[in-house]
Amino acid sequence: MAYVAVSGGEEAIEESIKLLKFYRSGTHKDIALEAIEKKLSLLVDKVMSEAGLYAPRYAALALKQCEGSTEEAVFLLRAYRSTLKRSYYTNVADTANMRIVRRISAAFKDIPGGQVLGATYDYTHRLMNFRLEKEKSRELHKKMKGKLEKQKATEVTPFARVSDELKKEGLLEVYAENNEKPYDVTENLLEFPASRSAKLQTLSRADTGFISGLAYSVLRGFGQVHPTVGELRTGYVELEVPYGDDCDESIYIGEILMTEAESINQAEDKDQLKLASGYGAVFGRNENKAIAMSVLDYELEKGGDYPPEDEEFVLMHGDCIEMNGFISHLKLPHYVTFQSKLDAVRKTRNKE
Amino acid sequence: MNRADRDEIIEYASEIQAGYQVMIVKKPEKSLAMVKMREPVKESLFYIGEVIVTDAIVSIGGTTGRAVAMGDDFDKTVAMAIIDAACNYGCFQRENELYDLERKQQERIEKENTMFMKTMVNFNSMDSEAAE
Repeated sequence: MAYVAVSGGEEAIEESIKLLKFYRSGTHKDIALEAIEKKLSLLVDKVMSEAGLYAPRYAALALKQCEGSTEEAVFLLRAYRSTLKRSYYTNVADTANMRIVRRISAAFKDIPGGQVLGATYDYTHRLMNFRLEKEKSRELHKKMKGKLEKQKATEVTPFARVSDELKKEGLLEVYAENNEKPYDVTENLLEFPASRSAKLQTLSRADTGFISGLAYSVLRGFGQVHPTVGELRTGYVELEVPYGDDCDESIYIGEILMTEAESINQAEDKDQLKLASGYGAVFGRNENKAIAMSVLDYELEKGGDYPPEDEEFVLMHGDCIEMNGFISHLKLPHYVTFQSKLDAVRKTRNKE
Repeated sequence: MNRADRDEIIEYASEIQAGYQVMIVKKPEKSLAMVKMREPVKESLFYIGEVIVTDAIVSIGGTTGRAVAMGDDFDKTVAMAIIDAACNYGCFQRENELYDLERKQQERIEKENTMFMKTMVNFNSMDSEAAE
């Protein structure tokens, strides 16, 4: 049997692409983009976070286009984003004053402002709710809208960070504001040692599963054993961009939902014990990713011999597009390289 | 205006256009804004990701109005720029209605906030000695 390089297959490829529509045509029922955006919002959030692009409606469209595959949706968003120019950099987003929808601490029972559970699956029984098979979405929407309208208004107040209290006590180190221009991994290749800004941007865009797995490995002993979540907060953050002829004014452009986590660890400072924290921040409601990021942030800052403490290991293998692209390329024709391997094996056998 | 219903904003802008000549200085354009953040551990800056924005500039009688808004709603963004120009030019009669809109939006946010704050935890100590 001879192995040779081939060309062709164009018609088959075209038919294959058309066949994808067949897979999306299994029912005459459509999924409205609004329904994907509003009812599968955790999936939309995950896609936006991994794409590094906050665009809920576009994320919903991407998910519809690729049958709900997160990696394909992320690929579509990244590709689309690359066609747009970047006109603005926002002012520093004030996450300390975010409009909180959930905020908890595993470190302290009593935190300034209190613990707000918000909407969480943490306390639900994981039992299938078969009533949802016949759910009347219009009625649900109307009912919840009515419930909202009946509420009394409560003034929105900012919640101080839990870590601020520890800083006041001198248990966490206090740093001066560092206004150095952040490194942008979308415009520059990642270099090692990576700057803190490059690390945080890379982790925030990373594949949720990858960094969750790495953080899990840290908890199992491949790193600092058990950090404590000092604070986990989800809320709306207002965005402004500099504007005007001299950029001396700011204009409000909208708000985004994001999740932040600070995990606290015990650290050694000369002969004294102290605390040190790691930070995570991601688009949308994705708290496990934010916590995992905070765990890895600390591990990378600390350094060490385990894989989760190795910058290159963590930062080079967690990008959704890069990892899936590389794995995906394995299924593309490798006829020539494989033939060369085959020849080498055959030659060895013949010698024997 | 950013949070307001698009149809309402477009209606305000249409009224202005009926009475004044509006020049488009910069057509609405979709682009990106990179979101800059400050992390609380070492107080340094980093980029978390981008948002899609649309911006537009118009002028009324030589006075400019600008709008930049998240999303890709060209018509609404132009309408926002028109209202901004009209406010700057001093010919927008319904400015008070904008404040009403703002008040209603704030009220909705505060009602939502009530729902979130109902999930505030009240801890009770289970250790009787500690309670004493």
